[in-house]
Amino acid sequence: MTAPIVEVDRLSKRYGRVRALNEISFSVAEGEVFGFLGPNGAGKTTTIRLLLGLQHPGGGTARIGGHDCWTDHVAAAKLFGATLEQPALYGFLSGRDNLRLFARTLGPVDEGQITKLLDLVGMTERANDKVKRYSMGMRQRLALAQAMLGKPRLLILDEPTNGLDPNGIHGLRILLRKLAEEGMTIFFSSHLLAEVEELCDRVVVLHRGEVKAAGPLSELMNVKGFQYRIDVSDVDEAMKIVRSLDGLTVEPGTIKDSILVSSDKDMARAINHALVSAGIGVDQLVHTHRGLEDVYIELTGVAPGSPLSSAPAPPPPPATPVGAAKP
Amino acid sequence: MLFVSLVRNELKKTWRSRWIVFAVMGGVFLLIAGGLYTYYVISQGRWSPPPAVAWQTTLRADIANYQQQLGFIEQAKQQGNGGPSSGPFSIDSAITQVKQRIADDQYLLDNNIAPLQSYSITVAALFAMGGIVMFLIIRIFGWLASEEIAGERSDRTLAILLSRPMGRTQLLLAKAVASFLISLAVVGVTFLIVYAVFAFVEGSVGPVTSQVGLAVDAAKPLGASNLVVMPIPVFVLMCLGATMLGVLCVQGMSFLVSAVFGRWAAIGITLAVLFGAPLVSTVVAVIIIGISQDPNKAHFLNYLFVNVLAPVSSISAVFGNGPGGSAGIGLGEFEKELVTLAAWTVAFFAGAWLLFRRKQEAG
Repeated sequence: MTAPIVEVDRLSKRYGRVRALNEISFSVAEGEVFGFLGPNGAGKTTTIRLLLGLQHPGGGTARIGGHDCWTDHVAAAKLFGATLEQPALYGFLSGRDNLRLFARTLGPVDEGQITKLLDLVGMTERANDKVKRYSMGMRQRLALAQAMLGKPRLLILDEPTNGLDPNGIHGLRILLRKLAEEGMTIFFSSHLLAEVEELCDRVVVLHRGEVKAAGPLSELMNVKGFQYRIDVSDVDEAMKIVRSLDGLTVEPGTIKDSILVSSDKDMARAINHALVSAGIGVDQLVHTHRGLEDVYIELTGVAPGSPLSSAPAPPPPPATPVGAAKP
Repeated sequence: MLFVSLVRNELKKTWRSRWIVFAVMGGVFLLIAGGLYTYYVISQGRWSPPPAVAWQTTLRADIANYQQQLGFIEQAKQQGNGGPSSGPFSIDSAITQVKQRIADDQYLLDNNIAPLQSYSITVAALFAMGGIVMFLIIRIFGWLASEEIAGERSDRTLAILLSRPMGRTQLLLAKAVASFLISLAVVGVTFLIVYAVFAFVEGSVGPVTSQVGLAVDAAKPLGASNLVVMPIPVFVLMCLGATMLGVLCVQGMSFLVSAVFGRWAAIGITLAVLFGAPLVSTVVAVIIIGISQDPNKAHFLNYLFVNVLAPVSSISAVFGNGPGGSAGIGLGEFEKELVTLAAWTVAFFAGAWLLFRRKQEAG
């Protein structure tokens, strides 16, 4: 792992009596595509505000490129570009003028770079229209171009897929992959788990201001072992037999005449043998891949994007040891 | 270099987002000028400016008027119709005041010193800087300054600006400089328009390199020890400087409020203070004067509240708008008002800076 560009160490933040962050720690390596996950109110936006230098921490430190995000903001800010959850642009200016204006905060305006960025985000044709006439998706794309001004080493994106249509999301995915290949570090906060799963090398799952899991996506998704979907001739009987085996949990499958079995170790053969021996017809036994969504629900107790996601969540399970947060 | 770019950004944003305000202001000026000209044409029955009158002639006419006024007051006193016989509002006090005006005008005539109202440019400086036009324009500056921080906070663009590699102090300073430059341009143009109007009404653009005299304390008789004679350009610059200090004060107040609140709260509080403070002070002054029967007793209020037009008003009794009224009018009072306003301005900007540099932005 290369040197971390983002280092968050025991970062805490309170808003009055509400504890938004409780000593969270994680790091992001240079060149990594990093996913930042958590339900509403988990503390994601607070963390991003602290990284952007918009707020000062109540305790701990947030560093970018070794520079403290609050006390050495100017040096830290030279390394990143950022978009906010709601694209922040000047509606009375054209897209091109917006980029010129933000570029001026970095030094002399490079018209060539602005043209290139407008082309990159597919906004060349509408570049001279006023932003107030743009759709949400167009604003998101322009905000992304704004973040990429000055070729930053780190791109901090807060819900960049908000307002994008499927084509836009696909385009963003391709663009971010390309940027990552070019060596740019991407800090990607999103509710769209499928996007995170597609794009990110590592993730942090935040819940109620605490890091619940942090690590490579591949490890995180296998952290609780194996899961099988078995199509059987008699669901009730099959569940009874599987329950009699040690170390297995079973539940009816979502597909008709199927059961879902979870286990800490690979027990595919033993399960198949037990079912066939008991005279249960086994049409197929599939080793299902645990999706990020399963892990996310398991860690936070909240389905992403569900109406419950903003309500107080049930007590989550203890933090997963894989890729444990930086001490 | 970055600072210049930031100022340029702020100027561009203000112009592109609020050009309609400047267009409306220009339109109002045109309407007022057009209305005044129409009135002039109808009332005077002529299209061209009237013949110019020398200030000495005007001063002699003033003296004649005062002498006539004095005659009426003395006649009223003899007939016993003159109100209270003692105190600041007594008939004797009125007689003393009119006599002093005659003596003052005579002193200026004898020493060939032009009073402030002698030339179009000096009257324009007094009116443009202390009159109703500036009263309204200065409140527009308060609103525009609120937009620069609180407005950007409400539009969320402030968060992106603050995440950029620049210090908060630098950004605040750039916004203050841009606000100042815009207001300087508007004040300059306002002055020139008012000057043009007065030049027409007076029938002469008048000299701009001559000298004018103003009292150090207008409550005392004019004389060598109570008169400052200064070149017209210095006087105009003095008025312009005092006005810009008032504008800066408003901008400082607006920045202070904006450092904490969003757009509408900031605009509301700034305008409430700008309109409310003179109103409250005037009510308090009326009560104090009513009880004490002495206008000077309420004069201290001038140094307590934020009266952004006070300095210029203090050198022209005509436009005096402080709660203490015309008491103490003169260059001495001007200096005190200037110091008061400067203290308020520094306090507002210091407060804005202290709050803004540690403000927790939501983003």
